[in-house]
Amino acid sequence: MGLITAQSMHEMQNILAIIHESAGLLGDILKVNAKVDFKHRPKMESTLGHIFSQVHRGKSLLHATSRLAHAPDDDLLESCDLAVYSTIGVQLSERMARLRGSEVAFTPPTEAQPVRTGALNVLMSVYHGLYWATSGPTHNQAVAVTVAKAGSDRIVRVTAPAAAAPDVAALDHPRLLLGPDRVVLQGRELNLVFPALT
Amino acid sequence: MEPINVLLIDDEEAFVTTLAERMELRGFVPRVALNGQAGLDLIEAEKPDIVILDLRMPGMSGAEVLRHIQARWSDLPVIILSGHGSEQDLAMCMDLGASLFLSKPLEIDTLLSSIKSVLKRD
Repeated sequence: MGLITAQSMHEMQNILAIIHESAGLLGDILKVNAKVDFKHRPKMESTLGHIFSQVHRGKSLLHATSRLAHAPDDDLLESCDLAVYSTIGVQLSERMARLRGSEVAFTPPTEAQPVRTGALNVLMSVYHGLYWATSGPTHNQAVAVTVAKAGSDRIVRVTAPAAAAPDVAALDHPRLLLGPDRVVLQGRELNLVFPALT
Repeated sequence: MEPINVLLIDDEEAFVTTLAERMELRGFVPRVALNGQAGLDLIEAEKPDIVILDLRMPGMSGAEVLRHIQARWSDLPVIILSGHGSEQDLAMCMDLGASLFLSKPLEIDTLLSSIKSVLKRD
């Protein structure tokens, strides 16, 4: 999959790089001419700021999509780093959550968390966990996602917003169940339990 | 501080020429090559202090250019600057002797401080 999608993603990265450098050069020119009175300077600087933040946003998304595409090529079908792939799963699911009325509050793990589950299955279960958490009215409250250790297990915990009433039927999706060893629902908390790779 | 001579090898002309302009504004001395063979020819003509090399190029790939550089100018540091990079690409480049692997787009200050760090200059 990585081989097929790599070309387009490479092109997109190059396009973002050109936009970034071009905006950077405009910023350099503004700085070099800082003493020249130019009434549109504040507007130009704020517009350049928008360009840089969108390039950054695009770069993060492309990086996450590239990791997804390369997962089979990088020999991650049987095991992966849950810290990395839960982060990528959240990044790739944020738009879905936003369209369903909720932001995702995620604390990326600081340490590697190797698990005996392939990257694609982790990604799919994180996506469907977030889909479940946003399946009822969320009232614009955030869904929380954390990664925790519990003995020899590693858990991705998806907590639905306080005012939400997630659809229990959404838990039956096969992609949610394919990755984790088990899926445990406790009130508003959905725990995706993965076996650690020892 | 002596100016740093940098050779940029990348087939994306809009990117590499803009980057060169920005480096020049900051006191670096950049030259640009739009393909691998042109890059090697420029090194032959005048060896730079460091090479910034794209990985995916038509014709001679960045990896092939890196092999040639290692074979002929083994003390010439090379930073890979790529819009594409799997874990395998990163491992391959480091095995081939690249000093550093960076992803684009990136902040120019990050690139320039990486250059100074590789060359051990303040």
